[in-house]
Amino acid sequence: MAETPSEHGKQQEPGLLSKIVRLLTDNDIYRSFFRTGYPDTLLKRMAVMRSSFVMHILPTKVGTHGLKLGYTWCMGGITFFLFLMLTLTGVILMFYYVPEESRAFTDMKDLKFMVPYGMILRNMHRWAAHAMVFSVIVHMARVFYTGSYKAPRQFNWVVGVLLLTLTLLLSFTGYLLPWDQLGFWAVTVGTNMASATPFIGFEGPFSEFLGVRIDNDIRFAIIGGTRIGANALIRAYVWHCVALPLIASALMVFHFWRVRKDGFSGPL
Amino acid sequence: MAEHVSESSGGKGAPSRRKFFLITGWSSLGLFLSGAGAAFARYFYPGVLYEPQTTFNAGRPEEYVKPVNPTEVVVDERFKSSQRVWIVRSSKGVYAMVGVCTHLGCTPNWFPGEQRFKCPCHGSNYNVEGEVVAGPAPLPLFRAKIKLAPDGSMIITTGLLGIKRPELQYKKSTLLPRWTDEEKIDIAKAPYFLEIKA
Repeated sequence: MAETPSEHGKQQEPGLLSKIVRLLTDNDIYRSFFRTGYPDTLLKRMAVMRSSFVMHILPTKVGTHGLKLGYTWCMGGITFFLFLMLTLTGVILMFYYVPEESRAFTDMKDLKFMVPYGMILRNMHRWAAHAMVFSVIVHMARVFYTGSYKAPRQFNWVVGVLLLTLTLLLSFTGYLLPWDQLGFWAVTVGTNMASATPFIGFEGPFSEFLGVRIDNDIRFAIIGGTRIGANALIRAYVWHCVALPLIASALMVFHFWRVRKDGFSGPL
Repeated sequence: MAEHVSESSGGKGAPSRRKFFLITGWSSLGLFLSGAGAAFARYFYPGVLYEPQTTFNAGRPEEYVKPVNPTEVVVDERFKSSQRVWIVRSSKGVYAMVGVCTHLGCTPNWFPGEQRFKCPCHGSNYNVEGEVVAGPAPLPLFRAKIKLAPDGSMIITTGLLGIKRPELQYKKSTLLPRWTDEEKIDIAKAPYFLEIKA
């Protein structure tokens, strides 16, 4: 008999580990928290997925094709993990960094050399950001190659493209925050491109018909001035730390919900 | 049997009345949301700017060294980092060039040996007149205006902030990387050029 006793609830002589588990889980406090009690049967395991808020994102059963690493490459999950890591390290960095012209660069340097564990935190944030851009692209490539964007998942592809845009915008707004030469000129160049937009950019075509000038065009609205300065810094900071992560999180929730509803794509 | 009047077959005009309420309600909501959206967009345009002044005193013209070779110019970089302006001294006089690459806004570097400004970002090259001789820049470098103060020092206005770019570029009808013949006449006289009698 190779069947595990837990499968059918047979009363065997329980080991020490089972006793400890029973002690921790067989009480009202545990049950009030997890509702289903300790999931020692298949039915209870499925009930956990159905009735627990934390676990409800997971399906009660997963087809084996959904677990094939050679098929999924796990890139969507890695991207989400990196986003969580960036959120965590980013919030920790916010305790030291002040987005103000005279302080931004020195605060970044302090994080690197003076703050306990600042170097590892800043580098985790930086490398995870680079890795996330990479993993988003690889994830999209995988979805494309496996045809997972096809019906009924077309709209989830659209949400994914929006998430790609947000990922790149998060990277771009984070670029300015160290307030070093690299970020300053990169954002100068990047935002100057907005001036070439037709109608709403002062260097773009047809803008003269609308009376669009350097001090009222789209670039002016983005950086809050005619040049990269204090306004641009605080705006990049707020977009980077609050607005864009919130929008991205909302879209991610929707993205994952669609994955659950449509099921995992797989080889037929 | 009491007369039963159902909601859907109400008195005369009930459907149109309901339609009127629907249209009014939804259009009010639409109007409110577009107003809120417009206000949100307007919020991103600051009412007051705390940016550095674009007018500064560059000292007396005599302070700037005349070139030895009359075909060359001497570019003074003392205001490059603070104002992004080069004071250029040619054999005939002084003019001020704005150090903003017309491609995407980096600061070019001056190479006296080659008598050229070169932008490090995408490789635009400008000659001493600010005309594009290589690279992606679409327009010549901006000229700042020079006015003589009563004490003989030069007051330089870049006009980067505020209402428009330097008038010359703003009026530029030809989007060419070089000055046209009319523009060449313009940049050789005040306020874009300060003649110095040797």
